[in-house]
Order: sequence, then C-alpha cells, then structure tokens
Amino acid sequence: MEDLGLKIFGAILTTFMAFAVGMTYGGIVRKLTARVQNRYGPPVYQNFLDLLKLQSKKTNIAHGFMGHMAPVWIIIAAVTVLMFIPILNGNLWFPNLSFHGDLIFLLYMMVFGSLGMALGAGQTGNPNSAIGVTRGLSQMVGYEIPFVLALVALMIQYETTSVQDLTQIQHETGVWNAFANPFAFLAALFASLGMFRYSPFDIVGAPAELASGPVSEFGGKYLGTMMSGGAVFAFIKLTLYVHLFFGGAGNPDNSGIWATLAGIGILLIKTFLLYMIPVFYGWINPRYRTEQAIRYFWGWPTALGILGVLWAVYIY
Amino acid sequence: MNIFFLLIIILFSGALLSFVSNRIVPKISGIISFLIISLVSILFFSQVNIGETFQFILGEIPMQYGVTPYTYIFAIIVLGLGTLAAMYSIEYMKDKDRLGYFYSNFLLTILGMLGIVFSQDFISLFIFWEIMTWSSYLLVIYNGYNSRNVGMKYMIFSAIGAYAMLTAIVSIKANYGTYTIAEAIQNGAFNFSEHMYIPIMLLVGFAVKAALMPLHVWAPNAYSKSPMSFTSIFSGAMSKMGILGIGLVLASAYSYSNNDDTTNYITALRYTLGWLGGITAVMATIYALIQTDAKKLLAYSSVAQLGYIIVGLSTGTELGVMAALFLAVVHGIFKGALFMVVGAIEKQVGTTDMTKISGLIRKMPFTFFVALVSIIALAGVPPLGGFVGKWMLYEALITESNNYFLIIVIFFSSTAAFLYSYRFLFGLFLGQEEKETEHVTEAPITMIIPMMILAILLIVTGAFPGILFEPISHGMHNLGFSDVNWSMSVLVNVWGEESNMTYINLSIGIVFVVIFAFLTIKGYKGTKNVGTKDISTGGEIPTENENLTFQLDFFKPFERAAAPLYKRSMDKIWNDLGNAIDSLSDFMRKIYSGNGQTYALFVVIFLVILLLFKDTLFAN
Repeated sequence: MEDLGLKIFGAILTTFMAFAVGMTYGGIVRKLTARVQNRYGPPVYQNFLDLLKLQSKKTNIAHGFMGHMAPVWIIIAAVTVLMFIPILNGNLWFPNLSFHGDLIFLLYMMVFGSLGMALGAGQTGNPNSAIGVTRGLSQMVGYEIPFVLALVALMIQYETTSVQDLTQIQHETGVWNAFANPFAFLAALFASLGMFRYSPFDIVGAPAELASGPVSEFGGKYLGTMMSGGAVFAFIKLTLYVHLFFGGAGNPDNSGIWATLAGIGILLIKTFLLYMIPVFYGWINPRYRTEQAIRYFWGWPTALGILGVLWAVYIY
Repeated sequence: MNIFFLLIIILFSGALLSFVSNRIVPKISGIISFLIISLVSILFFSQVNIGETFQFILGEIPMQYGVTPYTYIFAIIVLGLGTLAAMYSIEYMKDKDRLGYFYSNFLLTILGMLGIVFSQDFISLFIFWEIMTWSSYLLVIYNGYNSRNVGMKYMIFSAIGAYAMLTAIVSIKANYGTYTIAEAIQNGAFNFSEHMYIPIMLLVGFAVKAALMPLHVWAPNAYSKSPMSFTSIFSGAMSKMGILGIGLVLASAYSYSNNDDTTNYITALRYTLGWLGGITAVMATIYALIQTDAKKLLAYSSVAQLGYIIVGLSTGTELGVMAALFLAVVHGIFKGALFMVVGAIEKQVGTTDMTKISGLIRKMPFTFFVALVSIIALAGVPPLGGFVGKWMLYEALITESNNYFLIIVIFFSSTAAFLYSYRFLFGLFLGQEEKETEHVTEAPITMIIPMMILAILLIVTGAFPGILFEPISHGMHNLGFSDVNWSMSVLVNVWGEESNMTYINLSIGIVFVVIFAFLTIKGYKGTKNVGTKDISTGGEIPTENENLTFQLDFFKPFERAAAPLYKRSMDKIWNDLGNAIDSLSDFMRKIYSGNGQTYALFVVIFLVILLLFKDTLFAN
C-alpha cells in the first residue's frame, strides 16, 4: 500500500512539475520574443497571472457539450502521455507508468488531445475555429511523416519500441542518438518545428488572421484549463525528444535526493536548449500558407527521415 | 435434421416468407426478417459446435459443411452485425417501397455469407459466393435506375472475381483431385510449388470482395448507393468474406511452404499484397477526405480500412495476422455503426450531403455519441478497439517485417484518416446550426439501440481486447500458427514491449473524472450556455443572416499540397480500358458486319491469299 501511495505522490508531483516548467518556459519565450522585437515584454511569471485571471472569472461561456469537453480531452491526453513517458531515466521517484506503454501508443495518445480540442472548437460554430482545425490537422499530416520515419529508424536500429529502453541504451553506450543516427535526429528536429507551432508554422492559431483559431470561442475556466494542458504538453514533447535523442537525464543507479535534483537540472537545461530551436527559427520567419507548410515537411525532412531508416538498416 | 441445413433452410424460407408476407400484411417483412436472423443467431451460438462437420455426396462430389475455429470469427461478424442491421432496418426502411424485395434479398445475402462460413468444400463455397453476390447486386440497384451503372460496375468486377475463382477451383480438382478445402491445403494446392496460378486466381476472386486495389473501383459507389441498413453489413460483413478467403489462402501458403523456391515466391507475393494494401489505404484515404457526401466518405474509408487488414495479413507473422483479424472484427463493428449513423441522418434530415447539413449534435445527441465513439475507433486513437488493432499492426510491421517503408505509407494513411474523421463529425454534427435543419429530431429508438450496442462493443473491445483475442487465437491455431500469445488487456510485441490497456484506461478514466468534475462544478452558476450564433468572429458580432457555415473545400490546402497524388485514379484507368474494349468491339463489328456481301468478300480474299502464297504455304 505504501508503494501505491508513493506512486500516486510521484504522479501528482510529475504533473505539477510538468505544468510549472511548461508555464515558465512559455513565460521566458514571451519575454525573449519581446526583447528581440525591441519591446519590454511581460514578466517571466506572466503566464501564471493569466491563468489565475482566467480561472477566477465569474462568468463563463459554454458552447455545448463538446465545447465543455474540449479542455477535458486536452488534460486527459496531456496527463496520460506524461504518465507513460520516463521523466528521469530509471529514477525511482518518477517511474509512473512508463513501462506500460510504448512509442506507438504515445504517438497515438498525443493526437488524442488535438482531436478532442478540434471537436470542441467545431461545436462553437465559429468558422475561424474550424478553419484553424483543418489547418492544424493538415499540418499534422505533414510533420508526422518525418517524425515517424525518425522514430521507426530508432526503433529498428535498437530493436525496441520503448522510450525507457532507448534512453537506457544511450546511457550504457554513452553515445546520444542524435549522433548514433544523425539523419533520424535531423528529421525529428524539423518535425519538431511543426509540432511546437511557432512561426513559420503558426498557421493554426494564426494571430491577426484567424483570430487565434480553434481557441477563439473559449474563455474563463475553459481557456485556463486548455492553457495548463498546453503547458504540460510542451514539457512532454521536450522531455520525449531529450529521452529519444539527447541521452535523457538522470542516473539509473542512483535515486538519492541529490542525484534526482541533478537529473532534473540536466533535464531542464537540455529541454530549454531544445525549446530554443523552434523559437529561434520562428523569430526570423514569417508565416507559411498551409500547403507550403505541408510541402516543407514532405521535402527535405522526409528525405532525411528516409536516410535515417536506411542508415539504421544498412549502416548501423 | 442437421443444424447447418436447418440454419440455411430457416434463412431461405425466411427470405420467401418476407417476400410473400409483405403482399398480405404490409410492412411486416422487416419484423419477420429480424426474427428470422435472431433465431438463426441464437441457434448458431447455442447449437453449433466448432469443428463439427457434416458431409453428403451430391452426384459424385462430396459436399462438406462445418465451422472451423477460423471461420467462426467471421460467423460472429456476420450474425452479430446481421441481427443488429435487421433490427435497424425495421424503422429505416419503414416508408420505402418494395420491402418484400429488400428483405428477401437481405436474408439471402446473410444466407450466402453464412453459407460461405459453413462451406468446407470449394463447390459449396462457390455456390454461396454467387448467392451472396447476386442478392447483394439486387440490393445495390434497389435505389433505382441511376444506380444501375453502379450495379453494373459491381457486377462486372464480381464476375471477374467469380471466373478467376472458378478457374482455380476446377484446376484444384484437376491437379489435386479434391474439392475439399482442407484436403486441398494439405495436398499443397496453395504452397506455390507448382500451379502457382491457383492461389493467385483464388486471391483475385477474394480480393474483389475485399476491395483491394486495383479491383476496388466498384466499392465506393456500391457502398454509397445501397440502402444504408444494408451497407452496414455490405461494408461491415460482406467485405470480410474476401478477407476470410485471402487469410485462408495466405496462411496456408505460409504454413505449407516447404522449400526455398516457394518461400521466395511467397515472399514476393507478400510484398506485392502488402504494397497493394498500403497503396489502397493511402489512395482511398485521400479520396475520402475530399468527399462532400457522408456516405461516399465512409465508402472510401471502408476501402482504406480493408487495405490495412490486407497489409496485416500480408505480414504473415503471428502478430500481423492477429492484428488483421482483430481489425476485421473491429472494422465490422465501427463501420457498421457509422453507416447506421449516416442512415439515421438520411432518414431524419433527408440528405447526407455535408454541404447541406450541419450542427445536428443538439438534435441527435445519441446518434452523435455513436458517431463519436466509432470515429475514435476508426481513427485508431486510444483507448478503443480500433487502437488495439492499429497498435498490433504497427508493431508487427516494425518488429517482424523488413518492409519499413510500408510502415510510413500506412502511417501516412492513418494520419490522413484524422482529416476525414474530423470532416465526418464536423460536417454532420458540429458547426453552425442552420434554419433548414431546425425541425430535425432524434432517430427512432429501434435505430438507436443497435447503434448503441455497437458503440458499447467498441468501448469493451478497447478495455478487454482479450474477448476477441480468444476466438482469434483459436482461429489462428486452425490456420497453422502455433502458440498464439494473448492476454486479456495487455498487448505485447515480439521484442517484449507492451501496452497495457488497463493502465491506459485507468489513467484516462481518472483524469477524465477529475477534470470533468472540476470544469463542471467550478463556476457552475456562472456558466452561460449559448447557441452557435452567439459567437465573436474576430471581435465582430455576427448579424442575424450572416453565413457562418464552413463546409465547402474543407481540406483545400491539403488538396493543394497533395495535388500530385490526386492525379492518379484507378477509376480512370479502368474507364480507359473499357473505352479501349469498346473501340475494339467497334472494329470487330466492321469485320463481322452481319452483311452477307462482306462475308463473301472475305472468302474471296482468303482464296486469293491462298493462291498467292501457295508455294510458301504448301512447300512440302
């Protein structure tokens, strides 16, 4: 029973950590973007203030059942995926359920939230929301191709479909997958540009064009909950990438308090640096049209992904 | 009397009865056919023992009936879906004409499919196959003259399949001396050692029904033009008869291949079939997402899903075949449910054109629930049954096949499937509520019940896929796979990685309850429910008559991006072939003009040629 209690505690801790990290990263990006654009920008903790404001609104507008469910789907997807990815390699504090789901499951679970959100946005009846959704889904078909190619390359290279094992292999050999299969890594990196939806791939929300797209009819508690889900999701994507390509974080042989903290520190550094790639890329790019975005992913990123698979089959 | 005969005779007399009774008491044939199919299902599941066979000699041909563990899987699909579709039909067909015609053919189709399941020899298989084809053809043209072209296409392709099959059956008799399926397999009829054309011919015959490219072109139109209560078994169950045959041939080929040469041929066949399945899936998917008619969309999606099943069968590995059979059952469930949903909308609204309908969610909430669950299963999103099948399919392709690029093709297709899934739900149920659909009410209860049962089955097969794994593992044992691993709710691949459906469902359930309660309770009094006109479009409040419906050119950007893919169309190739045959016939008509003078001229020309070349022709 003690074991179960510890697990529940670990799960809740994981969720709050993911939430806090995601929100803070968002705040930092807002600040940095403002400085790049020669503005002063909001404080780093502005996202927390926004959330507080949204959750304390007295009147909330509900757009029917699917609209009500949209934030629920997002949180379900975010928390469930979070439970099934390893946070620190082999650490006893955050094992959660990472042994009970593999990459294919994670791939599908990650779209669960977007689809639920899409349905909620659809019910509001706002045409901008629906247009945003169709763009988002189309773009997803774009970047999933290089992303899956990269994952397939890794999976057949090491004959495992578990994120945990992929991290462990990197820990044992000491070679990051980013170097063990550079083509797969590059393909996944390009795919991540689409995944994080910064410019030039911000066609879903598309400020000043679609009036923030799918979320445009949501406010108050709904928007606040979605924001939290989004923050957790940002952390999930980053952690997944770090575990797949950058050797993960944490020492599997030592789950002491200091080792754990050091592991979290390393995780934070790696994820933050990774997060800056789509952000930096976004600063210097205007927005694509949807078909341009799709074509972008079906071009070089896919070619690199194919090279990655060939590398895994013939060279490695 | 033997149980197999009894079931066939009940169905046959039911078909006659429903035809005749409609003349005496109008509208009764729907209830009769439902009762008949229920009776057959009850008798089948209580009286028939798996493995039991019955044989009698007709002429000199031994006819053999029975149920193997493998065909039992398909019996579940046929009878389960058949019963529910018959129940659904009662209300759906109520106001239509020629009910006797419809129901007698409906029952004959079920009879044909059940007969195929029972058949242990090729002759009965072929007879029942033809009964199924003909009765379903009569239902495809039920909706009148315009659908006759559609019916013609269906008939032509069915005929191609039937001739191929018949050739194969006769060759089996000639070369292996038997009509019995089990004996033919044991004698090595399918193992590619000699007479390679036999399994290939059989595969062509079965592939027509399974809508495998390039033989799929009849399917989209036939599925969408038939009455929906029939399409749910047409697409849900009848296409699985093709899968039954393909599975049988392929699995026997794998199990009985005995030397390197045959293994090479079989590998080549596997690759070909796998790629055909993959291309079918991709092309059908991208055509599905540009459809504006919900029926057509589902029809294309059926073809795509059958592509996955064939890919699964083509892997030839334990996990792959298991995935294919699992997907076959689950596809029967969700596609049956989805065609029923479309039928309900057609009945309540009068059209299934998504450019004309939108915002039905508040008017038809139960139908929406069924559509939502089925679409989630179709898209393969956890935690429903569709995900289990997809998971196994991917794991089989990644871990056990060397066909890595096929994974990408399949993945592309199933990601693009999200697009048409969303199109379907949005087009019919979400979006602006229009004045034209204000009068719409929920479908009658007897239509809702079968749909709900199917939706619940999808949820159950997601949580406890073991329920389906059990009959499937017996069936695979029957096909020659030994030691099929399965457990109630844990999916495991050959590398030992697992996806535990219990934990997945638990996690989803807990978060759902917590967040749903949080969102509902928090600020409950301050939550204002509004309609679809009460929105802000970019800061402006829309006026009363402003058109806010977004239904046309739904995925235009995707179409532009994928433009090269849309240039290829199998339909066009077949039409070109048809035109070519037409002009060839025209040319032949010039020779065989039917005019005595012309024929006399031919005789003269022939004699002249003989005279001219007499030295060379008759040199010795």
